Amino acid sequence: MLKCTMNGGQLKVFGKTIQALARLSNELWLDPSKQGLVLRSINSSCSAYGYALFSPVFFEQYQWSTSGTMNHDDIPLTLNFKFTMQFLLPIFKCLNFLERNVEKCKMFTKSGKCRFIIQLFCKHSIKKTHNLRFEESRPIQVLLEKNMCTNILVIQPRLLAETVVLFPSNLEEVTLAVTSVDFCLRSSNEQAADMNSSVRSSMCVDRDEFDFFQIGLDTEVTFCLKDLKGFLTLCEAVRGPVAIHFDFPGRSSPARARLTLGQSRSSQAAESISRKISRKRLCPTESPPESGAQENHSSPLKKRAPSREQPDRECSPVFRRVSTERLG
Amino acid sequence: MRFRAKITSKDFIELFIQVSVTVGRLAKVCVLRVSEDKLCFSPAGPMATGEAQLWCEVRRGVFGQFHMQGVSQELREIYLELKADLWSRAARSAGKATSLKLQLTNKHCPCLTLSVELLSVSGSVRKAVHDVPVRVLPIRWWAECPEPVIRAPEMSVCLPASKTLKNIVEKMAHMSSHVLVEANWHGSMNLSVETDTVCVQSHFNHLENPSKPARDTPRGDEDAERMVQVRVDSRKLLQFFEGQQIHPTSILCNILSNALHLVVVHENVSLHYFIPAA
Repeated sequence: MLKCTMNGGQLKVFGKTIQALARLSNELWLDPSKQGLVLRSINSSCSAYGYALFSPVFFEQYQWSTSGTMNHDDIPLTLNFKFTMQFLLPIFKCLNFLERNVEKCKMFTKSGKCRFIIQLFCKHSIKKTHNLRFEESRPIQVLLEKNMCTNILVIQPRLLAETVVLFPSNLEEVTLAVTSVDFCLRSSNEQAADMNSSVRSSMCVDRDEFDFFQIGLDTEVTFCLKDLKGFLTLCEAVRGPVAIHFDFPGRSSPARARLTLGQSRSSQAAESISRKISRKRLCPTESPPESGAQENHSSPLKKRAPSREQPDRECSPVFRRVSTERLG
Repeated sequence: MRFRAKITSKDFIELFIQVSVTVGRLAKVCVLRVSEDKLCFSPAGPMATGEAQLWCEVRRGVFGQFHMQGVSQELREIYLELKADLWSRAARSAGKATSLKLQLTNKHCPCLTLSVELLSVSGSVRKAVHDVPVRVLPIRWWAECPEPVIRAPEMSVCLPASKTLKNIVEKMAHMSSHVLVEANWHGSMNLSVETDTVCVQSHFNHLENPSKPARDTPRGDEDAERMVQVRVDSRKLLQFFEGQQIHPTSILCNILSNALHLVVVHENVSLHYFIPAA
């Protein structure tokens, strides 16, 4: 059971978060808890995961209680609310308008009916009510092994966004290549479809631009650019530094890169985890490498639901345990 | 065969970006001819019937450094075929750059590498490198990319403000697929469209006529007032006004018997756009 209220400004940040997560997937998980309200999304090929935690301090009012649903052992069952982005996004379409006109926003669940109500109290006594249906589902399990990450970078999101904008907008993947002195983003070599007719771009950022620069191991990580851009638009809304934790693909564990954004005042933490496309090397017999952009591929990996429990050594390995870490 | 050039002046970098973006909008594939004293963006292949053609020259003075070595001692030029939109996108990233370098390289394939140095918000220098794939044209194909023959026009007039013209042509293009352009030596110009139901004309007066050709000795006011006209595809004309990004000294409109020849006049750049008569 969830009930929370926020003002126009907070609603704008909330809406921006949803828009950023919408770039990953058409589904959004809302997970209220004592720590706060968590929004999550995961792309269809399980290569990118977005997570945002709004702590109770972010809201004007925040009330949460365990769901009425019990399992057969009489233990309260914490369930996620799963929404379809297609119905949620139009509510947060014009964020500037919302910021200016909404005086108060109330969100609450209707127990027993799988309904999530968003009420916008606007100027001139206008009240808009959105009545959304959600599905109850098990939470996504995500494995985040932070201590495995030997490389840590902290940078202001604006500097990263300035670099990313220099790439052509139709570019699907970028490769991040780091050494102890260099940080370089370049268009991915793996898109070998038409090498002789596409531009290869690379941007180097000086290590002095980073708030923190620790590279334990020279490595290369490949992202879907769309996922990264989505995360950076969220960062612009929150304006906190971005921390990037990553390592390199080994035999038993794939690479993962984790971007975290923390801001102590508004107590919001957002994470976007994208996995390197190392599938070809780990599982040579598997179908072509997945990426957030190649959602039409009927890769066998897609059939494995995010809630898969088995420890994974091969291709969709990342997600196992939820972590609710935050910075700041 | 070598080519290396660098621009460090902010204004010239801006100009080069404007030229590249204009070329990207007005052409699909073009040939970049590198000569000892200039760069030319020219059409790739002979002029197809009914297609508008672009020819754009950037003089060597724009570049702080310019070194080139042609295919041979006798033929001191390099012809590179490239996709205009790829080039334009790469050049666009150089907005607010402190330096822009062009170099002919051979990476995964022959490329024209655009290297840009930018000053970031924090004050440090950032480098962006774009390898734009090109095709080096062999000498036997050079004859297919000749310089345009610029004939003396029947009429020549300096156009009024581009923005005004663009708005007018945009509205006219909605109404009809062809527009009639006419002008006289008295500095008057008309743009008109005609459909079954409506006829719209825009009149411009007191425009400047650049110097008349010597053979046209004034035969009296009657002759000077005679309107010379050409009918062109309105969408092609609109494409010119929408695509043209350079801030010129002036834009000349030369009316030929079979085409409209638009000339963007600038100290270091000249751009010619030929729209065939319809």
